[in-house]
Amino acid sequence: MPFLSHHPILRLILSPQHLGRSMAMGLKSIWLHRLRSFLTALGVVFGVASVVAMLAIGEGASHEAQEQIRKLGSQNIILQSVKPSDSSGATNETRSMILEYGITTRDIQQIKQTVPGISIVVPSRQIADVAWAGQKKEDSQIIGALPIYPQMRNRTLLQGRFFTDLEIEDRAAVCVLNEALASKLFPLNTPTGKAVRVQRHYYKVIGVIEDESSFSPGDTGKSSASNDSSAQLYIPFSTLMDQYGETFFRYRSGSFEAEKVEFHEAVIRVGDIKEVETRAEAVRHILERNHKKNDWRMVVPVELLRQAERTKQIFSIVLGSIAAISLIVGGIGIMNIMLASVTERTREIGIRRALGARQVDIVLQFLIETVLLSGVGGILGVVLGLGIPVAVSHFAGVTTVIKPWAPILAFSVSVITGIAFGIYPARRAASMNPVEALRHE
Amino acid sequence: MAGAPQSGTSAVSRAVEPIISLQDIRKSYQQGEFTTHVLQGVTLDIMPGEYVCIMGPSGCGKSTLLNILGGLDQPTSGVYMLGGQDIAQLNDDELSQARCTKLGFIFQSYNLIQQLSVLENIEVPLYYKGMKDSEMRPIAERLAAKVGLSHRMHHKPTELSGGQQQRVAIARALANEPLVILADEATGNLDSKSGNEILDAFDHLNREGKTLVFVTHDERMVERCSRIIRLKDGFVDSDTRTKRALMAA
Ligand SMILES: Nc1ncnc2c1ncn2[C@@H]1O[C@H](COP(=O)(O)OP(=O)(O)OP(=O)(O)O)[C@@H](O)[C@H]1O
Ligand SMILES: [Mg+2]
Repeated sequence: MPFLSHHPILRLILSPQHLGRSMAMGLKSIWLHRLRSFLTALGVVFGVASVVAMLAIGEGASHEAQEQIRKLGSQNIILQSVKPSDSSGATNETRSMILEYGITTRDIQQIKQTVPGISIVVPSRQIADVAWAGQKKEDSQIIGALPIYPQMRNRTLLQGRFFTDLEIEDRAAVCVLNEALASKLFPLNTPTGKAVRVQRHYYKVIGVIEDESSFSPGDTGKSSASNDSSAQLYIPFSTLMDQYGETFFRYRSGSFEAEKVEFHEAVIRVGDIKEVETRAEAVRHILERNHKKNDWRMVVPVELLRQAERTKQIFSIVLGSIAAISLIVGGIGIMNIMLASVTERTREIGIRRALGARQVDIVLQFLIETVLLSGVGGILGVVLGLGIPVAVSHFAGVTTVIKPWAPILAFSVSVITGIAFGIYPARRAASMNPVEALRHE
Repeated sequence: MAGAPQSGTSAVSRAVEPIISLQDIRKSYQQGEFTTHVLQGVTLDIMPGEYVCIMGPSGCGKSTLLNILGGLDQPTSGVYMLGGQDIAQLNDDELSQARCTKLGFIFQSYNLIQQLSVLENIEVPLYYKGMKDSEMRPIAERLAAKVGLSHRMHHKPTELSGGQQQRVAIARALANEPLVILADEATGNLDSKSGNEILDAFDHLNREGKTLVFVTHDERMVERCSRIIRLKDGFVDSDTRTKRALMAA
């Protein structure tokens, strides 16, 4: 049938010439109303740009969060001792009393014995003190740790090395600085080989380790809560026990405080990553039974990761809604302009119908125009939207991640919006009575 | 025009089928409680090669009749056969295709598309017929030359005089070699000189064998056409062959 081969959609698809001609016609009429078309496309431009930019920034934020959580070790369960919040009142009343809290040897023993599938339990202790290097000093956390510590916490040594088992046995006077402390005490030269003093004791620096990720709640027992780049000085666990014993004395607000904390932190490694959460539950049970006070806390990086993913999902939903709204607004703008254009060109539609244009020809003519309008707006929006994250990472130092599908998605959605909002004006144009259209002034 | 089937001016031929056949065509408009009866039973046949003039006082329904003949408007009742085909049986697409290939329109106000050049305007019916770009261009150029506009092919309608615009419209109406050309007061907007030029062009077309249906107030046409149909209040008041037709017969 000749009618089938003459079907305008088939014709457009089969013949690039006709497509080119229809597009040229659409572009011409867009160009005829430059300012109007530009302002209309602007709605789409901003819609698409905001989607692309927000996706990139959102992906960047969640990427950063996930990286930090991963650093904590996804197979780990981290136990931390927390100074109970009601204890400050107790110390004021009974000044001589020694405040005892936190993770105990008994806890660790029970966990090792009753929770299956646990490979290593690595405890550590920490004390707040002042680290000296020559005339320079810095308030630091002095952390007693085991050789396995960097591996357990996914932390890289930037210089030198960590302790050996031998140094633990020997209770050696060696230390490893974190980046923050190293840069404070040795701003100009390499710290390795130098000496750091804490109180009366000197420690030889054997390495520098990278700072802890911000997701680790760090020095929780102290009122001067540390931030992510707080100074840390690592010494062998055994050395710390030697120097400080089991009870720490501190002078604070006009009175002595005595605290006894066996372990400030213990890292439990679970063999199978899938079992981390169930094992964490078991550990929680043991600790809940052993501790009357709320003097401990458990951090499960896998759970944090899952939370971060959930947050990202919510973020995506919010983002999607904003994107949908902005694109709907853009689409309404297009529809508005196309309705005006249809009214303006009523006469032309009448002429075309009189000369043999079918309804579908007219629909296509207007639809191509809206698709061009939204398509060009979409391209400009993608360009703008790719520029914003680049500028944001450059000037604000925020990580942004541009997923390759994001601009493609935003662009396709803008074109689909063009079609969705262009259909009605186009159909209205096509369904006009030719006689009345011809009479239109 | 190439391939014109009819010979000379022997317009009326008993043996041939009519191109247009109207049977009791009525058209009325409903406006609230009132019904305006514009056409009240028009019956007529138009044979190939005829040069028909439809005349009558303003408001008698001439344009309404021509719009029905052109497939732009549907009658309230009656049968309209175009080239042996019942127009009422066609769907919208087929009717559009019939307008495209079987009918050529010429309007009082030219009705050219302002954004398009002379050649592009002439190409519009060819485009809707489904012709390739490469085929369209030579046809449009030949038609532009035929109406004497070879030097204005790339101009826009606003850059042309009224007479020139109407000649573009004639070229456009001829593009698909229609069965019949319909013109509604084609000279109505023109001064007598360019009006006469246009009428000369129509005479020429008729001599080539084209069937023409004209709506006009212009009594000069009486000299040129072969048949005059006078309408009055929606009826055919008179239907006469002119001297020219009788002479040719
Ligand atoms: N859409 C419509 N609704 C109602 N009445 C209409 C409509 N179109 C035309 N008419 C009426 O039909 C009658 C005939 O109109 P038509 O345009 O056919 O007249 P005409 O013979 O062409 O007049 P003229 O010589 O002035 O062009 C007029 O009275 C007009 O008012
Ligand atoms: Mg009229």
